[in-house]
Amino acid sequence: MSNLVYNEMLKIVRKKRLWVIVAIVAVLVALFTYAQYKRVQEMQERLGTTDWRTQLQQQIIDAQNRLNSSSISDEWRKYLQIRLKQQQYYLEHDINPSAPGAPTFMRMFIENAIDLFLPLLVMVVAADLVSSEASGGTIKLLLTRPVKRGAVLLSKYIALLLSISFILLTVAFLSYFISGAVFGYEGWRLPLLTGFVAQGEELNTANVHMLPQWKYVLIELGLAWFVCIVVGTLTFMLSVLVRSTAAVMGIMLAALISGAILSNMVSSWHSAKYLFMVNLRLTDYISGTAPPIEGMTLGFSMTVLAVWGLAALAISFIVFTKRDIY
Amino acid sequence: MRRGIVSTITIVSVLAGILWISGLAMTIQDQFFSTAMPPADTTKYTKEKKADSREIYIVALGDSLTRGTGDESGKGYVGYMVDQLRKKTTKPIRVTNLAIKGQRSDGLLKQLGQTEIQRQLKLANIVVMTIGGNDLFQGGEALRLTPKQIEQAKDSYLRNLDRIFQTIRRVNKDAVVFYIGLYNPFSDLGDAKKTSAIVRQWNFASAETAARYPNIIAVPTFDLFALHVNDYLYSDHFHPNKDGYKRIGERVASLITFTEGDKK
Repeated sequence: MSNLVYNEMLKIVRKKRLWVIVAIVAVLVALFTYAQYKRVQEMQERLGTTDWRTQLQQQIIDAQNRLNSSSISDEWRKYLQIRLKQQQYYLEHDINPSAPGAPTFMRMFIENAIDLFLPLLVMVVAADLVSSEASGGTIKLLLTRPVKRGAVLLSKYIALLLSISFILLTVAFLSYFISGAVFGYEGWRLPLLTGFVAQGEELNTANVHMLPQWKYVLIELGLAWFVCIVVGTLTFMLSVLVRSTAAVMGIMLAALISGAILSNMVSSWHSAKYLFMVNLRLTDYISGTAPPIEGMTLGFSMTVLAVWGLAALAISFIVFTKRDIY
Repeated sequence: MRRGIVSTITIVSVLAGILWISGLAMTIQDQFFSTAMPPADTTKYTKEKKADSREIYIVALGDSLTRGTGDESGKGYVGYMVDQLRKKTTKPIRVTNLAIKGQRSDGLLKQLGQTEIQRQLKLANIVVMTIGGNDLFQGGEALRLTPKQIEQAKDSYLRNLDRIFQTIRRVNKDAVVFYIGLYNPFSDLGDAKKTSAIVRQWNFASAETAARYPNIIAVPTFDLFALHVNDYLYSDHFHPNKDGYKRIGERVASLITFTEGDKK
């Protein structure tokens, strides 16, 4: 088995996909670091102070002003209201939620990347794992060897899991070191709050507790990993079902992007919460942002994702072992 | 060589995988099984030293007028006031605008109860504020109230105003407060006589309230908008436009002097 996995890893490495991913991440992180740096600078210039309390207070006032204008959609109003209460809570407890530093940047990067960017990276690896063997014809060579089909597929799947872990490590590593060059490498022990529960327009703070930032980041990475695995598994299933790698990419892309769009407009379509793509933003539950559909919780989303992942895994194994290869 | 790279990546990936699984386990432990331990509710602000004594710190409080609604440049009277002040002094001027559109006196009173607002207030050298416009003209549809209702609105407004001044004075004993009075945006309409009288009385009562406290100065604006009111109003016929704000800003700026050199 380990030889099979090694063989699959060799294929992935030889295709140079991982290096492309590393390069993409490095470029994007550098870009976002610069954007963030600009934003911080502009903020300081506008308020004439580096005092975070003043800055946070100003954000609260800005949000309150926006809430008071009549032309504002209900969803946006709800979002603003929740965020406002949260900022107020941070302020009242004298905790700076965005103290500059590489770990803070990491945290924000993961939160923003979890529903689209990270799944896309995973897709790059997962999309052609099986389909390329089918379209290239090498699948026959692979299956004529004296190993069970299930074992072949399992080795591919394990290689995928390993690649996903590697990708996340790259993201964590690069976002820490590149942004640290600008913001400094400090801030692992910064206290953060989690456990906010958004209920309608209210913010329930009964469960709020403090976490040091290192733990917070690790939790978010764990969730990101979970999301990536589910998306990876779904892509893997498509890769088994569809021969053309381009088609796999297309289907997955459509699903992911529709998820990003749907999240913004499904609040009245309740059964949409069983779709995997509106459940990808798991980190939002940690930071306490209102979910796209009322009633969604971390447990719910993880269950939905797990069910989708397991179903996809079962389908890929059944189809792969039963199918005629010609 | 190649074998080395692949093996390294595989081993690193395995280790990373273990790390992420532990992260996930931590998530489950933290989010589902931990008891809430809200941070201590006492805010222990480190003793703030009074802001740099060379710096002039202005805090603006109130409603849309202070926010600058209607001024396309977004400066509002606070911005124009600062422009004027910059000509008078070489000290750096810092402004924090805490005004909220549509805010009424009860809202401001509540806002002043917040710790952070109080902290800002404590640091201020100068406070400028507008309030009451929304108490009197209920969102621009103005003065459709009966005299009795207006009387009621005024009473509760004055009570709030008194407590607002009280709070400001309690938090910051020294800062000079400029309370900016109301103008009559309807002074070119048919019942101008009636509306103007109401605004005048309103302003008078507010100024009386202000006079009970040291260093709170009521700045009139009624006269600024008495003639050619339309030239100074924004298209909503309620908020000032750029020129209107400029006049208010200049008036407030003219009251602020830096002669003593140790102006607090």
